[in-house]
Amino acid sequence: MGLIFGSGSFARYRVEGPLPEDYLEQFPERISRFTFRNIDEASEQERSAGWVNIMDMFDNRLSAMEYLKEPCIALSWRVDVRKVPSKALKRYCREAEEKIKESEGLEFLSKKRRLEIKESVQEKLLKRVIPSSQTYDMIWNLHAATVIFGSVSNNLCDEFAEFFMQCFGLHLKPIFPYYAAFEVVLKEGMDPALVDSLRPSLWEVE
Amino acid sequence: MQLLERVGSTEFIGREFLAWLWFKSETGEGSFPLGEAGSVELWYDGRIVLQADQDDRDEKIICLGDTSRSREARFALAERKAVTEAKIRLSIGDNEWSFILDATWLNFKSFKTPRVVQDDKEDPDGLFYEKFYLIEQALSALDAVFSSFIKLRLSADWEARELPALLQWVREGK
Repeated sequence: MGLIFGSGSFARYRVEGPLPEDYLEQFPERISRFTFRNIDEASEQERSAGWVNIMDMFDNRLSAMEYLKEPCIALSWRVDVRKVPSKALKRYCREAEEKIKESEGLEFLSKKRRLEIKESVQEKLLKRVIPSSQTYDMIWNLHAATVIFGSVSNNLCDEFAEFFMQCFGLHLKPIFPYYAAFEVVLKEGMDPALVDSLRPSLWEVE
Repeated sequence: MQLLERVGSTEFIGREFLAWLWFKSETGEGSFPLGEAGSVELWYDGRIVLQADQDDRDEKIICLGDTSRSREARFALAERKAVTEAKIRLSIGDNEWSFILDATWLNFKSFKTPRVVQDDKEDPDGLFYEKFYLIEQALSALDAVFSSFIKLRLSADWEARELPALLQWVREGK
């Protein structure tokens, strides 16, 4: 359930730098380069991430610029991951090792050989794993230069900010208390140094 | 200064903001003007997480239930624990939102808007715009309250009036 269809968690960002004047020409091409692509089942790829329609996570064509919802660009960031369960990997590795030891008449296998077996088993099993899919809504208010992103996981937020930068060529700055205070001071025409002069007051005066 | 370093060294701003919001809502001053948009009312509702400010940062106190009657939460605050997360209800006119606000990043968890009336099958854009408007309305209101806090915090009134009253209320929690 994303932000649009239910309740959710989100982080807020300020988009740094001006919106390109020709964004209506520039962004469709940029977005299409970063749309979600399914993981190729025959490959060794473990992860894929990209844009999908915010109203339909299975729509990655975005051919009619459905994401343009004035004054916003609204998309979902879909992340598919396929991972071999660790216990299954251990079990199949052990079976493969036993088979090799038996066929080659060996008592032990070297570390290097065991690593090779693990890689080969991992590769085979990966092709049988169905990817798990998650989507995280992103609403970019172009007028206010703010983005809300549907996750509060630090790792995911960092990864998303990097993805956003690659896609649009614009930096995202998290709106955390210091930065929000800084924006208040600027808006009020006060001296920005005032925010830096703030010290904890609640417990310090006692 | 690196981002994480800056966030860490200034996290007291968000913690003081949450403590101040709690104080305001408990002392009947949880209503804030929004100019032409009327006013917004905020109050603590349920979950509240407190944490030691300096040492023992791993120690967390999580209180659930009716915050106004939570003696444990007030006691922890009086014992110099900082509010790091709080479930807040926000109301503007007949509309009501709820969310958990995080003091460190000002992130929102379990954000619930008032019920939307648009049908996504009949009018997907209508649903989007209704939801977007409701999210923006709550965020703008909270930004306005945060702005009031910062202006007060930077004024002489903070030391002269607001902080002594806040500390008095905190001490009453023991």
